[in-house]
Amino acid sequence: MVRITFHRIKCIGCNGCVEAAPERWRVSTRDGRCNLIGGKEKKGIFQAIVDDEEYEQNKKAAANCPVRIIRLETI
Amino acid sequence: MNYADVEIMAPAGSFEALTAAINAGCHSVYFGVEQLNMRARSSINFTTDDLVRICRQCDAHHVKTYLTLNTILYDHDIRLMKTIIDCAKESGVTAVIAADHAAMAYCKEVGMPVHLSTQANVSNVETVQFYAGYADVIVLARELSLSQVANIIAEISRKEIKGPSGELIKIEVFAHGALCMAISGKCYLSLHSHNASANRGACIQNCRKEYVVTSKEDGIELEIDNEYIMSAKDLCTIGFLDKVLDAGVSVLKIEGRGRSADYVDTVVSCYRQALDALQDGTYGPDKIAQWTTELSKVYNRGFWDGYYLGRIMGEWSDAYGSKATEKKIHVGQCVKYYPKIKVGEFQMASHTLRKGDQILITGPASGVTRSQVEELRVEDRTVELVEKGDIFTLPLSEAIRPKDKIYKVVQA
Repeated sequence: MVRITFHRIKCIGCNGCVEAAPERWRVSTRDGRCNLIGGKEKKGIFQAIVDDEEYEQNKKAAANCPVRIIRLETI
Repeated sequence: MNYADVEIMAPAGSFEALTAAINAGCHSVYFGVEQLNMRARSSINFTTDDLVRICRQCDAHHVKTYLTLNTILYDHDIRLMKTIIDCAKESGVTAVIAADHAAMAYCKEVGMPVHLSTQANVSNVETVQFYAGYADVIVLARELSLSQVANIIAEISRKEIKGPSGELIKIEVFAHGALCMAISGKCYLSLHSHNASANRGACIQNCRKEYVVTSKEDGIELEIDNEYIMSAKDLCTIGFLDKVLDAGVSVLKIEGRGRSADYVDTVVSCYRQALDALQDGTYGPDKIAQWTTELSKVYNRGFWDGYYLGRIMGEWSDAYGSKATEKKIHVGQCVKYYPKIKVGEFQMASHTLRKGDQILITGPASGVTRSQVEELRVEDRTVELVEKGDIFTLPLSEAIRPKDKIYKVVQA
């Protein structure tokens, strides 16, 4: 399994993560920042546990992030 | 030439910088909220909840407020853009600085005044005429010469080009601060190397770094060690401010929303003094030398006159980062201020402080206070030096507040 951690408040809404992993990321039209689909929030940090098969796509999403707020850990 | 209506516009990337700008004598401030501005990465940025407080503080000092909303906008940003503009209008912000047509169109729809950002790259009077339907103030491209600027302003008068307010279009130019290597900030380098778009406020400043040239033929590397070939020196117009204003410029913008409060304090003070000196006829070489020395003390990459005086090629910095002649060391914070006896109480967090040291105190409501340590007291005894952990007092004529930060100013 893979844990995705996302520091949403720092998101600048560039859409880079959506381009890499569209099933996991969607930009909110409410505030222009990205949502981690299936993510749970704790003190502004969002986390989602996803299957290993999503690792590569989300690794690309993290690499695409210009403000480096997406982190991946294999658990 | 009457300089009374000229406006000095200061950057405010924090409440410290905002207060410093107001205290230093600016006529207006500009700031970003949320992520749709050109300092989305480097500045802390305010939230829409801060707008009322900013406007209240500025209104009390008759300082105009401009909100930057000048990134490229995507479809998913439109709702946020509208929310920000609605909040700005409700809070009493003077105008929005925009570059994207969607933001301009919405401002027009809701009756929010617009200033056209330098990102729009306005370089001729026909373009001024095009945007006159939306904006009352237009920031020209930083790459124009002063004669081109003067010509555009003369044509605005001759053709009577008016903005939505019914007044002639006013022209704003950058007077001081960092310059982008790309024309009007339209740079792709940061996006290319780090997927971090400068045009979404996420520039990672590739141009400020050192580079090595590699021969494709044999792999030999040559280090470019005499210049940072893409890193422009900082713009400084204080030595020819008379020429800038004689071109008919109405607003002088100071760059630096990512800069500290003491930077804003120094730069705004110098330019305000220069403007006042022009008004009272005392502007001249001696004062220019003094101001240049002061400006050199805070963050700078070396100064040049930009493209205003007709230069074709840029001038590049020869060092990484700042060439400031002074630096500040954080030594502690204010515990309490006693206004009747004009004494500040502080706790040392690191380093030492001696009698005679130059100090700088900054805080969100205090702005910037500069002073020299005249006396140090610990538990009612006069001492020569205080160290980490000491709680001490020193006389301060200007009021400060608890949690304000105290710095020691030293030669860089």
